Amino acid sequence: MDDSTTVVITGMGAVSPYGPGVQKLWEGLSQGANCMHAVSELTELPMVNTKVAATVPDTDYSFIPRKIRRSMSRMGIYAYLAAQEALQQAGYENAPDHLGFFMGSTLNSISVWLELASYSQGAHLERIKTSDFLQIMNHSPLAAVCQALKINGPAMGGSEACATGLMNMGLGFLAIRSGLVSQALCGGTEEYHPMFSACFDIMQATSTNSNDNPSAACRPFDESRTGLVVSEGCGLVFMESKKSALARGVPILAEVLGFYSNTDTENMAFPSQKTLEACMRGALASAHISPKQVDLLNAHATGTIAGDIAETQAAQAVFGPSLKINSLKGHLGHTMGASGSLESIACVKMLADQQILPTKNLQQPDARCGRVDYVRSPRQTPLHIIMKNSFAIGGNNCSLLIRRPL
Amino acid sequence: MITREEIIKQTNEALQKEFEFKPEQLVPAARLRDDLGLDSLDAVDMVVVLEQKFGVTLRQGYDLRTIVTLNDLYDFIEKLAQTHTN
Repeated sequence: MDDSTTVVITGMGAVSPYGPGVQKLWEGLSQGANCMHAVSELTELPMVNTKVAATVPDTDYSFIPRKIRRSMSRMGIYAYLAAQEALQQAGYENAPDHLGFFMGSTLNSISVWLELASYSQGAHLERIKTSDFLQIMNHSPLAAVCQALKINGPAMGGSEACATGLMNMGLGFLAIRSGLVSQALCGGTEEYHPMFSACFDIMQATSTNSNDNPSAACRPFDESRTGLVVSEGCGLVFMESKKSALARGVPILAEVLGFYSNTDTENMAFPSQKTLEACMRGALASAHISPKQVDLLNAHATGTIAGDIAETQAAQAVFGPSLKINSLKGHLGHTMGASGSLESIACVKMLADQQILPTKNLQQPDARCGRVDYVRSPRQTPLHIIMKNSFAIGGNNCSLLIRRPL
Repeated sequence: MITREEIIKQTNEALQKEFEFKPEQLVPAARLRDDLGLDSLDAVDMVVVLEQKFGVTLRQGYDLRTIVTLNDLYDFIEKLAQTHTN
């Protein structure tokens, strides 16, 4: 691997339930701050058992010019802010020429879709505005951010539900390694709607036994967990070839070592240990490293019964019982399409601080989960390589490896 | 029948809400494109909100090339409202 095919991260941007910016994300995570709250729409729906979500604090976005904002639902705005932050950290005021952009989401804006549906049901399709359509195309956030920031390279929106953010980081990594581009913004974005909670609730995948204590609602790996808490946000990283970063003289935050993806074809909703294991082994092979070289697995671990068991059993099989493992969903909830990239940003910060964040709300690991080293309190430790997992409903799995700059 | 003053008031209210104009921007001589910055996408959305506001169909007869200023827009709606009433 030479400097033109070695891929590094030189910028990061985030909008999370802790607020806009990577700094707020890191502060919230480090402090174990609560960002979950009761959702009144869920409280009014007796058939929905989960009542909690995590959302980005309400903000007045009128500082963004109207012509930029008119094509953006909330998830587009989150992406715009995250993209600006990532570009700035990478040393750019304006997007460089032929910048690649790889970003998607699980769904597009449910709020805007429901508005359109109400026109249809009321036989008032003449009320549809151009801005409505421009906000609900599958690639609306991607296109709107390209227009706003003049990103003129290849823009592609991979959409694989909960794996979207990490899949798009993988796409960016492959695009740079292949020579398609030398620089790329990549990640995922998502906006919350109570419908998300209701859908996962029907699948019996939500947190239901801590509605009166939102802070403890999501408990990855814990024996008392019942499921996930839906959340929202956006995470984008600026990747480029090491050659490009060295030529520009910008600080390298992390190196992307490898990426792998596979698909579980046995079941849409229940991950199999075997396929997850193959995914993690594939990423190790892609990076040409051994399991022993991985210092931490930042798990997908959403807090569902089946998902956490399958992932940790697979992790034990690949890495053995000494593997240190954590999940950030206890802090953030499940930011869906943004989770892989938002949590990767946290991984880069953990590498920089040489600190493993604990899994929030994990008190007693479930005996059915794999035998690994569950990090339950902040741990200062030499940290060189982290594997990040993201798995989607639909069976789309991916694993990415990042390393602290040498 | 709706008065011209009412047409101006309601049009301005709709444009302020849709395009976030300040009241002082909406002077009769203001040019929709050159002074207020409305582009072709805005022109379509403007028709949609004004149709809802006045309960008339504007889109068939509407032509941004002939409606240059806000005053032209008021004239157009007034004429249409009269036709509608007749």
